[in-house]
Amino acid sequence: MANRTIRVDYIARVEGESSLELHVRNGTVDRVRLSIFEPPRFFEALLRGRAFGEVLDIVARICGICPIAYQMSGVHAVEDALGIEVEKPIRALRRLLYCGEWIQSHALHIVMLHAPDFLGYPDAIAMARDHGDAVQRALALKKTGNDLLRLLGGREIHPINARIGGFYRVLSRAELAPIADSLKRTRDRAIESLRWTAGFPFPEFERDYEFVALRHPGEYPMNAGRIVSSVGLDIAAADYETEFIERQVPYSTALHSTLKERGAYLVGPMARYALNRDRLPAEIRALADEVGLEPICRNPFRSILVRGVEVVYACQEALRLIADYEPPSRPFVPPEPHAAIGYACTEAPRGILYHRYSLDADGTILDASLVPPTAQNQDVIEDDLREVATAGLDLDEESLKARCEQSIRNHDPCISCAAHFLKLQVHRT
Amino acid sequence: MTGADQPSVLVVAIGNPDRGDDGFGPAVAQRLRGRVPPTARILERGGDALALIEDWDGIPSVIVIDAMAPISEPGQVHRFDLTESPLPIGFAPSSTHALGVKETVELARSLGRLPQCLLAYFVEGEQFETGTPLSPVIAAAVEDVVVRVLAELWTILETKGKAQHA
Repeated sequence: MANRTIRVDYIARVEGESSLELHVRNGTVDRVRLSIFEPPRFFEALLRGRAFGEVLDIVARICGICPIAYQMSGVHAVEDALGIEVEKPIRALRRLLYCGEWIQSHALHIVMLHAPDFLGYPDAIAMARDHGDAVQRALALKKTGNDLLRLLGGREIHPINARIGGFYRVLSRAELAPIADSLKRTRDRAIESLRWTAGFPFPEFERDYEFVALRHPGEYPMNAGRIVSSVGLDIAAADYETEFIERQVPYSTALHSTLKERGAYLVGPMARYALNRDRLPAEIRALADEVGLEPICRNPFRSILVRGVEVVYACQEALRLIADYEPPSRPFVPPEPHAAIGYACTEAPRGILYHRYSLDADGTILDASLVPPTAQNQDVIEDDLREVATAGLDLDEESLKARCEQSIRNHDPCISCAAHFLKLQVHRT
Repeated sequence: MTGADQPSVLVVAIGNPDRGDDGFGPAVAQRLRGRVPPTARILERGGDALALIEDWDGIPSVIVIDAMAPISEPGQVHRFDLTESPLPIGFAPSSTHALGVKETVELARSLGRLPQCLLAYFVEGEQFETGTPLSPVIAAAVEDVVVRVLAELWTILETKGKAQHA
């Protein structure tokens, strides 16, 4: 077979600006480059010299889709540095906030960004003409997620209510109660949405990933837990940099993160589910069984089902948290700065998000390290593409392009905000 | 929104005042406040364009104001009636939001959730740098759009009034 170069100048329906280049030599894909050309944003440098209390407002700006993840990893890392323990209701409110983000982020990806791939539509707009009910459900799901963020966080984009030690203002039971009704309806819609995606045609494809996720003794992980993997890794967040390393690649402005010992690994819903299925309530596990989701899913095209299960769980968990909620004795623990280093890892919708902060005696940030899920999944995305493209080399260009795009979107990469088309160039030599 | 509180007309001003000329919409909204008819509502949106579909649910007439990437001359104002047809190719408002206004309007059209009347005013921006104010040429277009939107509002309400008395 002739040598070919397959270039995708803009990867659409993902958050941000990236391109793909595949080089095919003698019938095999010998080089894959997922190039992120989103300008470097220097947030880690930007944090240096700022007060610890500014962390949450700064890191929330990293992402309009998952600002809560950045705020939660930030708040836990700074509290780890300052030795702050929060009351149970504060912890519950943070978990509730995370539920809102999982619901809105996953709902957007499942229906608006990923579903058109399976049903053969160029985008959600075209899909909406034939699958209006599914799109309406997604809009309703997203709205409930946003409502939760607005209620707890003050606004849905870059919320402002979380602070080191707790919240600026905490809600009463009466203020939380009304959203429970819409969450119940949302949970029903989430179940319908999951059943709808279960009927999609899934390509036969599996990979032997090393899954990495948080694991908590008693709950499906969001804000807390140890970092574990499917081949035995089990560490505290403070040991993250002992096991993982970030490296620069010449073709991308995003760092690639790998396990020092074993290389590429997968974070995100598939990893969370594979490592924590036993932490889901029985009825959620039964729902996963009903839609044919295996206990450990290694087919990344089926990640849409895992996200669907997590949306249902997030709705149910939010309802549980609201039902059990009693306001804390005070909205926040006043932080007392001192020189220290703090670490935290939380489960963003797309996977573990690691933060480390070094503070000086008055709480000024000396150094910060942030490792987002997409940086951790880049090698896996490239490895997936290598196999997907190899298996699809006989496809026509449009079909191969579509399959490659779909493969990237399997991991919902969060590079920044999305357009909806892809330019593919194939050079035959 | 339902019942007596429901406005007849919604003006949605889209943009981020901390992103240079993307702040055009919020600047127009600021000048409109206190000058619109009582049955009109002004809403500023800086984030998720998809939320527009919920925002205008049940409201018969909507005017959207946004900034767009320059295609001819910064400061140029474009008016579109999107009720029957999409934005022309090339007129995608410059957006710092997740899904753009253009996509949201077309999604609403696919779902049958467009308002009965949907007008849009877009100004061509010059720069969208973080932390910068409106460019002078864009700031100069604000009052022009305010006056035109006020005229639109009164026309919409008059037309509605005549229809009710016909």
